[in-house]
Amino acid sequence: MPAVGRHFMSNLELTVPTNESWTNPVPANERRVSIVSTAAVSRRGDKPFSWLAKDSRTFHKTDRDLVMTHVAVEFDRSAWQQDLNTIIPLDRLEEMAADGEISSVADEHYSFMGAADPVTMEKSARAAAAKMKQEGVNTVFLIPI
Amino acid sequence: MCGLAHYFESEGLSTILVGFVREHIEVIRPPRSLFLDFPMGRGMGKPNEPEFQKKVIRAAFELLEASSGPIIDDFPEIIPVKEGRMGYALPPELVLSVDDIGDVDVVLSEVRNEMEALRPDYATAIAARGRTTVGASGLAIEELAPFVVSFLDGEIPKSPRKGVPAIPLLKLVVEDLEAYYTETRTHRDSIDDLELMGEWFWEKTKAGRLLLLLEAVSVASENKVMLQIVEMSLMAPRFWSEGPLPGTSAAGW
Repeated sequence: MPAVGRHFMSNLELTVPTNESWTNPVPANERRVSIVSTAAVSRRGDKPFSWLAKDSRTFHKTDRDLVMTHVAVEFDRSAWQQDLNTIIPLDRLEEMAADGEISSVADEHYSFMGAADPVTMEKSARAAAAKMKQEGVNTVFLIPI
Repeated sequence: MCGLAHYFESEGLSTILVGFVREHIEVIRPPRSLFLDFPMGRGMGKPNEPEFQKKVIRAAFELLEASSGPIIDDFPEIIPVKEGRMGYALPPELVLSVDDIGDVDVVLSEVRNEMEALRPDYATAIAARGRTTVGASGLAIEELAPFVVSFLDGEIPKSPRKGVPAIPLLKLVVEDLEAYYTETRTHRDSIDDLELMGEWFWEKTKAGRLLLLLEAVSVASENKVMLQIVEMSLMAPRFWSEGPLPGTSAAGW
């Protein structure tokens, strides 16, 4: 791994959870899936993410006009420019729902700033979880950038 | 991202995580993880390849069949990266200085002409894809280059966007500029090659040169945030470079 990246990776302080949770999954044909992305994407016109944002943004399953305000530049942006599904596979999940591989795709999906410490996002994550449960979500697909 | 899995799981939601850094997954131990040996920014692997994308999703969702965990699996296919880096990186020797700026009107004019020449192909790309990612800054395309140029004298201009200070806005403008170019070329020339796109934009275009001049101004700046964006490689892609930008320490990381 190149020098600057190696320095970053080896010095990153990881917060190890004290309690490891486990929720038994529902059968495939009952899965209602919401995506959580750390790509810091949001609907065009939404407030941009701050560099170490603790909050999240919500977008609807039909939203395609998304922009990215992630602070880091070490990842490729050309893929999502070509196809949103490369990072947020809403179309693929809809196809899988239509084929019966899952039950349904949630109405709402969530985005966080991946550069921030997840510990600072706990409140926002639990708020997102509460909204998910309100709309019957039981399965969360976590996709980093 | 790994840490978020525990929050959602503890709320009674079953999680599946895909991830690029196996070392982090092993330490944080989210309940179900699929390690992807892909470049970062490509979680589903390949743009416009639905079957490959679904293969990734199915492999991830297969982990929901496990009765206990944490469980880590490896996606069997690899998308190679160049020399261990997960994104394009500027050559360490490609560095400009404030002495290279010259006449800012000429700098701006060259970028404007270049952008104007790309405009028809950019419009075609939007029409074909039905979307564009340009616009994070909220500025119009014709405002992007002038805003960057307004930093070249070393002063921090006033932000034209309410609620977003000038330097954070500058970062978004830089990304909008790059997106304008790469969205155009990936569509026009049917290219899906992050190294080729990075090399073209940063090493061969007038816009890339403008941003390297901006980087030179940042290094020389007495403004802490301007210096921070180069120290932390938040603007020009030097995160995966073999060595930090001369004049900086990369100590921000």
